Amino acid sequence: MATKMKEVDVVIVGLGWTGGILAKELSAAGLKVVALERGGQRSTEADFSVPAVRDELRYVVRHDLMMNTQKDTITIRNNVSQEALPMRRLGSFLPGDVVGGSGVHWSGHTWRWTDMEFKVRSLYEERYGKKSIPEDMTIQDWGISYGELEPYYDKFEYTAAVSGKAGNIRGKILPGGNPFEAPRARDYPLPPLTPVLAQEMFKAAALNNGYHPFPRPSANASRAYTNPDGSRFGACQYCGHCQRFGCEANAKGSPHMTVIPIAMRNPNFELRTHMWVTKVLKDSSGKRVTGVTYTNVLNGEEFEQPAAMVLLTAYAINNVHLMLLSGIGQPYDPAGQKGVIGKNYCYQTGASATLFFEGRHFNPFMNAGGSSTTIDDYNANWDFDRGKQGYVGGFIVAGAFNTALPIGYRPVPGGTPPWGTAWKAATAKWYDTAMQINMSGSVMANRYNYYDLDPTYRNAFGLPMMRMTFDYKENEHKIGRHAAQVINDIAKSMNPTRLNPAVARTEPWTVVPYQSTHNTGGTMMGTNPKTSALNKYLQSWDCHNLFSVGANVFPHNSVYNPTGPVGALAYWTADAIKNRYLKNPGPLVSA
Amino acid sequence: MRTRPWTAAAAATFILAAGFAYAQGDPKHGQKLFEECHACHALERGVQGVGPSLHGVFGRRAGELDDFRYSPALKRSGITWTPKTLEAYIADPQKAVPANRMPYAGMPEARDRADLIMYMQQVFK
Repeated sequence: MATKMKEVDVVIVGLGWTGGILAKELSAAGLKVVALERGGQRSTEADFSVPAVRDELRYVVRHDLMMNTQKDTITIRNNVSQEALPMRRLGSFLPGDVVGGSGVHWSGHTWRWTDMEFKVRSLYEERYGKKSIPEDMTIQDWGISYGELEPYYDKFEYTAAVSGKAGNIRGKILPGGNPFEAPRARDYPLPPLTPVLAQEMFKAAALNNGYHPFPRPSANASRAYTNPDGSRFGACQYCGHCQRFGCEANAKGSPHMTVIPIAMRNPNFELRTHMWVTKVLKDSSGKRVTGVTYTNVLNGEEFEQPAAMVLLTAYAINNVHLMLLSGIGQPYDPAGQKGVIGKNYCYQTGASATLFFEGRHFNPFMNAGGSSTTIDDYNANWDFDRGKQGYVGGFIVAGAFNTALPIGYRPVPGGTPPWGTAWKAATAKWYDTAMQINMSGSVMANRYNYYDLDPTYRNAFGLPMMRMTFDYKENEHKIGRHAAQVINDIAKSMNPTRLNPAVARTEPWTVVPYQSTHNTGGTMMGTNPKTSALNKYLQSWDCHNLFSVGANVFPHNSVYNPTGPVGALAYWTADAIKNRYLKNPGPLVSA
Repeated sequence: MRTRPWTAAAAATFILAAGFAYAQGDPKHGQKLFEECHACHALERGVQGVGPSLHGVFGRRAGELDDFRYSPALKRSGITWTPKTLEAYIADPQKAVPANRMPYAGMPEARDRADLIMYMQQVFK
């Protein structure tokens, strides 16, 4: 029998960036807020100080900050004719499992997604015709505009200490920034990070090839910084241990050292760690949620937390899973194309070339999470004619170093034996003399890429696991082939001693090795309850006192890291709740 | 009673020495530079962050506070913090105390270090 807790105004499920932002904003607005986090508390002081934090085995190989697949995992298949099997070890993506969530172990790349994403169907239909979009490509407009989000992007960038160079301030194109970005009201709070050699060499080559390189905006403070909330950042030390690690210098914008401690100082806020939410409860009408049930993962004790509002702010996959487990909204069925919960799951695609330069020294042990010089000529650049290539979306290309660690980072030229004396000689020779050029490509929604509840496998709480059905389609293969060609052309122009060229990926997607933690979709935002789960304020169409914030609200996945719009949308939703919903609780958009 | 003149004399020497070396320091600029330290170090007594509280640092022995876990290297260093020793440490922490745990690469400009130390001296005077 679950212990029933005292009712609160808001229960927050998952305390990472989005939960942290909403916890801070709503407790400051006077609401009683309880956050339930499945992981434990971590702090820079106790957990991420030098030298203990620089432990590749613990954090990278053994996934210390990530979800535990022995409690819950997802089952995976490539298409509906297969039987899905559980992912028993983490691989392709790494959801966080601590206070601060994946915001602790991210690299900090912070992009502004533009109307090219938010109006994807309208723009492509207008320019390339309705037939340019394949029938099974279920992309749709997001129901929000860049103009609406701009102030919230700004707020997130200034909160998270993003270092970068503006390319477009109020329509004025500025040298050195991304000329294809949408207009911003002002520059980044901090100047770009100091570039590493690989970035400088890529920049020169990109310019020679007619591209427009710029330093990738990243929440790694290039200087000491105090954000508008008073959170203090040290300067990035280029320690080479960014992605997968907490930051030892308080230089990486993370919720555990910004918004969450501010919420913690507010007596309206309470955090309960090691609590796993199993269900969102509805009233008898089915039009309101009444709270959540949860289990203490340390001792199995069960609780019910009644609340006037429920905010799903866990990892994107878990937010969708909870909607399915709780029977909120109609589950998606790809056969009849009915229902929305689970629809439009998307991922990303990538490829990379390794360039070896005898006599050059790249010092791969020294870099920031954002040590990346990037070109956006093949995505935000709307003048790039997709008609010739025949795909929707695009890719970015970067010369970058990010967390090249002693165990995992072992570049050797193609043809080197994978073990033994020859491999040892090659790794010693080439470790310091290699750099990479990589790409990240968009994945457009497809009718047959989706989530539902697994009919066979159950997790440690006895609940059906999430089932993911996903594979790359022809659109991604076309993007991959084009991107590989662009990478290899740039790479060859740099005259490396040896080159492992980029190869477009065309084999079926698998869950190994690590690829990207950018899983999107499943509870789309949109303009119509028939085709989306949430309205533009990320409020459930079915239950008006339920909101969900995360990459699960994206109707498709772009080339960029998702945290920029995820953070902006958290502030956007916080404002909608504070300024509109609290005054008049009910649907913020009439269906 | 006996100790008082000694303390006063020592303090006078201290101020004289400090005044000689850092008379040109700009504490306003030093306060701005202290932002680099502030993400980890508090000026208040007893507030331990990623780094130890700097309250009353001058005259203290390195690694002395009970409520902060110092690196063995710093504890063994035998340093007593004065404007001079702190200046050398901030210039290049790993050179001054090899294997210490402070994740800070150093403040290369002598002028900046003088300003920073002048600011800290003002805070704790």
